[in-house]
Amino acid sequence: MAIQIILLCGLIIFSVLAILLKDLIKAALSLAVASLFLGIIFFLLAAPYAGVFEISVVAGLITVLFVLTIALTKKDGEVKESRIVHLAFPIFFILFIVIDGLVMKSLLQKIPVLPIGPEAGTFGEVLWKQRTFDLVAQIGIILAGVLAVLALFRKKEEDKDE
Amino acid sequence: MVFSFIVIPLLVAAFLPLIGKISKKLLPDVLTNAALAFLLFNSILLVKPIFTNGFIIQNLSWLGEKVNLQIALDGFSLFMLFTISLVSLCVSLFSIDYLEHYGHKANFYALFLVMIAAMNGLVLVPDLFSVYLFMEVAAVASYALVAFGLGSDELEASYKYLMLSVVASAFVLLSITVIFGLTGNLSFQAVAQGLQDLNARIVLGVCVAFFIMGFGLKAALIPFHAWLPDAHPSAPAPISAMLSGLLIKVSGIYALFRILYSVIGLSPALSRLLMALGIISVLVAALLALGQKDIKRMLAYSSISQVGYIVLGLALGTPLGIAGGLFHLFNHATAKGLLFLNSGSIQHITGTRNLDELGGLGKKVPITSGTNLVGALSIAGVPPLAGFWSKLIIIIALVQAKAFGYALVAILASILTLWYYLLIQRKAFFGQVREKWQQVREAPFWMSAANIILALICLLVGIFFTPVYKTWISPAAEALARGIHQVLMWGL
Repeated sequence: MAIQIILLCGLIIFSVLAILLKDLIKAALSLAVASLFLGIIFFLLAAPYAGVFEISVVAGLITVLFVLTIALTKKDGEVKESRIVHLAFPIFFILFIVIDGLVMKSLLQKIPVLPIGPEAGTFGEVLWKQRTFDLVAQIGIILAGVLAVLALFRKKEEDKDE
Repeated sequence: MVFSFIVIPLLVAAFLPLIGKISKKLLPDVLTNAALAFLLFNSILLVKPIFTNGFIIQNLSWLGEKVNLQIALDGFSLFMLFTISLVSLCVSLFSIDYLEHYGHKANFYALFLVMIAAMNGLVLVPDLFSVYLFMEVAAVASYALVAFGLGSDELEASYKYLMLSVVASAFVLLSITVIFGLTGNLSFQAVAQGLQDLNARIVLGVCVAFFIMGFGLKAALIPFHAWLPDAHPSAPAPISAMLSGLLIKVSGIYALFRILYSVIGLSPALSRLLMALGIISVLVAALLALGQKDIKRMLAYSSISQVGYIVLGLALGTPLGIAGGLFHLFNHATAKGLLFLNSGSIQHITGTRNLDELGGLGKKVPITSGTNLVGALSIAGVPPLAGFWSKLIIIIALVQAKAFGYALVAILASILTLWYYLLIQRKAFFGQVREKWQQVREAPFWMSAANIILALICLLVGIFFTPVYKTWISPAAEALARGIHQVLMWGL
């Protein structure tokens, strides 16, 4: 129980840091740490494949993409924001926590217990025997993402040629 | 083989960037069009098995072992596959000439094919999470395609589209998560079965509300429409045609009504709510369209209005209403595809889309003018064109269900539709030729050919209404009208 609370608190703290930090690199790294916590929580909740994807894709791949993009854009990584954003976010955050708590409390009582364990079997079994189609769609998403990068960053290369 | 609808476009898309290095234009053009023509042919071949069996379930095996790749095809999905293949083939024919000034054809076609594969996948998969995933694949491809021109307004529109679309996906995913929590399963059949035995009306109501918000955003129903009038006009014309003609229908209408009819079950209260959303979209978007000066923006508002008609018919829930809604979906896909392609032709010919600058083009570009008139009259519902029949069926269904108020508004909005389409026709094509358009010439061959094919479809479907209705519409409408029994029959 104590470990879970520490993990949940870490998740929330690093998620908030990711929004509040002004240095983009630090914000991206906080997001990575937050998703690392989330990945461990998934493991503890007996959802190994969600955990693996969370850590490999979100904490790993996406962070690399973020850091690369930030490195490519400008030397000055600071974002200029108005003060209102910094004041408004904590208020909304606290409001959200209160509402979320209330909604979840009433909702959770009405959701019946799971009829069967959602992730019976080993990681490999779940991935290859039960949810194969997701892999096809994930290939599609990666393909679409790669093609989108190819299509949208084409002008830069042309400029270089000139 | 039903898997070819997903596999072939994905495979061709994967190789296109490489092929583009060898041949910049010819091979990408030929390969894309050949792949799409094959899919269209394939969808026609599947009519007979669907007619005799009602549905097809296929499992893929890899090296002799089943890998649990399962797809389910019934009348409704086949109808969607046919519509997707037909419109996308015409769009890719149009792109042969239109993309000359954008360049980078191979990249464009690759994204285009990924979008088509994703739409086909969305239509074929029998489980909720795969629906979500394929919806995302189509969305990622479409963000890039909207921004393909790389101009500032294109990028802005794409960003706005991305932001609102992510909200839509979040709602859909949240709802799927809760349903998974309720039933412990994701396949349509198990969820439909599980929800029947369960008494969780409030939680299920929340799920349905999230689905309506999520898919409503994707379908651009009012009040979730804010992104569409920016995103659709900014995209290159072929992509506007794909987005307005197909994507909002597949990832909005198809997904919503497949889940509502075949998985959750349409309750009378839900039907009334959706009908209200539909009629508001029909009327408000028609009024908004009247004030537009940019042709594509007007067409985009018209899409919202026509999606309203489709939702009105489908949400009514009577067999006739469903048939009318589906028929209008097909007619709107072809006619709006045609009109967006035509707007691309106009832009290609004159360099502008502003109605105030155009005038008298009809004498100079008879093919563009003529096909535009056919598409406009079809959507406005003028006999004997296809759109007339679908609107007539929807209105008759509304009258039969004693929803007289809805029927009246639907008729009035139809007159508004005719009004703003005649506005386009009058301002752009009729009257004296303006000085600066004296030298304009008709659109290139493939652009005109694609427009003519779509115009002929609008005309011929109207004339040969009965066989079309029997072959495509009524099996699809029956599959939906069977409701939850449809997916229980699949026996996955």
